[in-house]
Amino acid sequence: MNEREAIQGVLEKVVNLDIDGVTGQVSVALKAGADPRNVLNDGLSAGMRLVGDRFQSGEYFLTELLLAGEVMKAGLVPLEPLLVNTDIQGKGTVVLATVKGDIHDLGKNLVGMMLSAAGFEVIDLGSDVASQRIVEAVGKHQAKIVALSMLLTPMVISLRSAVEEITMAGLRDQVKIIIGGACTTPVLAKELGCDAHGEDAMAAVYLCEKFV
Amino acid sequence: MTSIERVNSLLNRQKLDRVPFFPFSLGFSAKNVGYPVGSVYSEPVRSFDAQLWTQQMYGHDQYPFFGSAVYGTSEFGGEVEFPIGDSIQSPRSVRYPVQSLKDIDKLRLLDPQAAGNLPKALEFSKMQESHGGLISLVVGGVFTTAGNICDIRNLCMWIAREPETVHRVVQLAADHILSAARLWVKIFGTQRLLVQIWEPTAANSIISPRTFEEFVLPYQQKLHQEILGLSVKHILCHICGEQNKNLPLWSQVPMGDPGIVSLGQQVSIADGIKYFGEKNIIAGNLDTSLIANAAANEVYEAAKKCILAGKDAPSGYILMTACETPSSTPPYNFYMLTKAINDFGFYD
Repeated sequence: MNEREAIQGVLEKVVNLDIDGVTGQVSVALKAGADPRNVLNDGLSAGMRLVGDRFQSGEYFLTELLLAGEVMKAGLVPLEPLLVNTDIQGKGTVVLATVKGDIHDLGKNLVGMMLSAAGFEVIDLGSDVASQRIVEAVGKHQAKIVALSMLLTPMVISLRSAVEEITMAGLRDQVKIIIGGACTTPVLAKELGCDAHGEDAMAAVYLCEKFV
Repeated sequence: MTSIERVNSLLNRQKLDRVPFFPFSLGFSAKNVGYPVGSVYSEPVRSFDAQLWTQQMYGHDQYPFFGSAVYGTSEFGGEVEFPIGDSIQSPRSVRYPVQSLKDIDKLRLLDPQAAGNLPKALEFSKMQESHGGLISLVVGGVFTTAGNICDIRNLCMWIAREPETVHRVVQLAADHILSAARLWVKIFGTQRLLVQIWEPTAANSIISPRTFEEFVLPYQQKLHQEILGLSVKHILCHICGEQNKNLPLWSQVPMGDPGIVSLGQQVSIADGIKYFGEKNIIAGNLDTSLIANAAANEVYEAAKKCILAGKDAPSGYILMTACETPSSTPPYNFYMLTKAINDFGFYD
């Protein structure tokens, strides 16, 4: 098996959710001489992207997406020590949070997983996050994008507050703000002065790629 | 007609004056009467009063009920936190009974008289009984209950990795729900009993129809058969969220004579009628985000659209929200729903 075939094999392990086979296939690719960065980008990350596309098209569901995240983690085990000293150029930093008052983090975590797989550095602030913490994180990490999640309708207040605080801190021009979650809509995004609304985790990846 | 007469007529397939209106308003009712949102899920007396007074104020038809979407967590020994203050709407699971595979063997069916929130639910049903309306037992569907036992993340992971474990937990959830139904039948009889089953976790945003077919359908089907076998006449099944791909499977689950099938906004009323309407009352599917955030005239138009889409369903229709009415809903928007019912809901 040559280098290219071995990396393609890694991609297929991810897409086929083969958690037992992915680590071995990554090792095969490395033994075939593949650059660890290529195994990550063209194997694991590309596989995750295909999984995301399948999720978006309705072929895969949350169960498959969660499992794909575990496959990715398993695939990273032999890669991580080799990636430490490489100069991987990330796509930029995304500050991610579920807004104040809302403790739901499943959707947010999926977005974080897919963004990381796509090469973004993700600063995940967790759930029930106060606006001030979001502002601090944007400044501290020089984030290019803020991705805010909300499941519960009443938390529109918190979403609005986060956007307002980012603006008042003078950071609005340096970041794009995207929102997502069960109760969010493109209309709401526009109404709150956000830059975009993502329908699902994969849409968030495409939006972030568009904005960087 | 009074609300009780209207709902009874609907359940008995008799003529109605107008479409009934079920606003699914728990937190909204608490706020409406000045109680903390959390009290509607955790304090039977306040919960009953808040809902009854709100019903009287707005003239809707949904008799007070007691329950939440975290059903199963405390009923199997986990811990639930009720909303504190008004900013969080719903109870949440803070400690699941099962956190890893090693906890599975410790799972036991608890006596429903003492399990989790059921003692409070019993107290609530005694108030329902003495006030003369429908007596409801509110439980989760088998998959939702299982997700509240194990955490949905684990359940999703185990579907692929530990399918036998998932089957085991879902079966245990079904056994528990049946034991609760048996208790309600024993104490309250079946004449006025409505078993409400809420199933958000089996939505297609989470699981595929294939997963539904293997891990949900057989258990949900058997559970409904067994509940109806206790002489319960009606099940209100809230098929919450995006369930379009599951509809052909849900249509194989008996709901009663008639049952009530409540739809999320993602499932059209037309599809609800197509799959369930011949035998069952259709309820739905007002977008709750819209009710809370849109302008009053938009809420009115949305309610009108629902009423006209469902009004002539073969076994009847209830104007209902797609899920719980947000506690932050402006009262005037809520009034718009009542206005729409009065303007478009009457039968000739």
